[in-house]
Amino acid sequence: MIGIVVVSHSPALADAAVALALEMVAGAPPPIAVAAGAGDGVVGTDAIAVAAAIDEVASPDGVLVFMDLGSAVLSASMALEFTATDVEVRLSDAPFVEGVVAGIVLAAAGATLDDAAREASSAMTAKNAQLESAPPADPQTPAPVVDGAVTAEATIVNDVGLHARPASVIVAKMAEFDARVQIADADDPTRSAPAGSLLALMGLGLGKGTRLRISGTGPDAAAAVEWVRATTADGYGE
Amino acid sequence: MTVADVSLDRLVDWLTRFRALVTENQGYLTELDSAIGDADHGSNMARGMNAVIDKLGEPQTVDALFKTVGMTLVSSVGGASGPLYGTFFLRIGTTAGAVDSLDGATLSAGLRAGFDGVISRGKAEPGDKTMVDAMGPALDALDASLGSGSDPAAAAAAAFEAAQRGRDATEPLVARKGRASYLGERSAGHLDPGATSTAFLFQALAEALA
Repeated sequence: MIGIVVVSHSPALADAAVALALEMVAGAPPPIAVAAGAGDGVVGTDAIAVAAAIDEVASPDGVLVFMDLGSAVLSASMALEFTATDVEVRLSDAPFVEGVVAGIVLAAAGATLDDAAREASSAMTAKNAQLESAPPADPQTPAPVVDGAVTAEATIVNDVGLHARPASVIVAKMAEFDARVQIADADDPTRSAPAGSLLALMGLGLGKGTRLRISGTGPDAAAAVEWVRATTADGYGE
Repeated sequence: MTVADVSLDRLVDWLTRFRALVTENQGYLTELDSAIGDADHGSNMARGMNAVIDKLGEPQTVDALFKTVGMTLVSSVGGASGPLYGTFFLRIGTTAGAVDSLDGATLSAGLRAGFDGVISRGKAEPGDKTMVDAMGPALDALDASLGSGSDPAAAAAAAFEAAQRGRDATEPLVARKGRASYLGERSAGHLDPGATSTAFLFQALAEALA
């Protein structure tokens, strides 16, 4: 499991962001270390404390570091000069809250450093898509249904829809399958997201009564699509 | 000791004078920062340099001295000045090595390495309304003065002159780095706090070498 370091000017801000992310972690959380404030209640960051936090959570799978703004970024980059560990350490360019949430949830789901870093970095895309000023769809996003895909449909039955907790459960489960699964609104296929992408799924805002089109490719596609269909029909266990 | 030598004592005197300047002008630096930033530059620099002087002890070599200075700043300043000034002093130390004095050439090489460290850490360019705008001209003046045969004292005086001009030239600039850049055009018409503390850094150097 990758380690997560949260760097902020404010201990309260860092702790709250971590708590928000842990709301969505069902099983064991990843190692998390906070380096926030400059000591004695001073708002600021401390590169030595960041280095100690990185060493504290260093695992062979690597460490992903999230920073709020300004000196947090400078202190984190400087901390790389002071760490003792030789595991890979990546500084995330993700927006702070979205990054911390995505990083912790995906780390708990067993994501690799590459996957967690990429997903966190795409956080702004998911947020943009929720707003009317959404940019054109990312051409990298796979089409909702591709030739030869396994497909199934299910209707969301739980009251609050496919919100954060069900999304995190789906993302965690998808890591177990060798398959690329896409979840779309069957009545509006432009609303579509990879089942392995937490922020993209949450960004769709799929509510109760939405009919989902689930499609997948790859060796485990049938099992993965069936699992999503079944858990959706079951109300995500809520 | 020849006139060309900058002893360890003088380097410590430089830091002590810098501490005094940022402490005396703490309110002024914070006032500048409250206009275009987050109103903590004075208190941050005073806290950092007070911690530095407390921790100095009796260093035996130039690299040991500046390692203590740099490490103390990065862990006690809090704001962006911590990693920036911290990198500056750490690079001076690693460039100088385990010596007990500097001459004009090694002083220049150390300061230049420190400046390169600030640039690579903060990614600021000349004209972004940052400490770079005072430090760059100061080092150019120092090198020009040394190149024309002046001793370190005269070169440091020239560097201080240039740092003040660089500081003053930040007033009309629109900030492109740091918290002030969030203000856009509204950042114009104010001196940059970082360039101002950098001018104090060179004032302290000039006084210590005089």
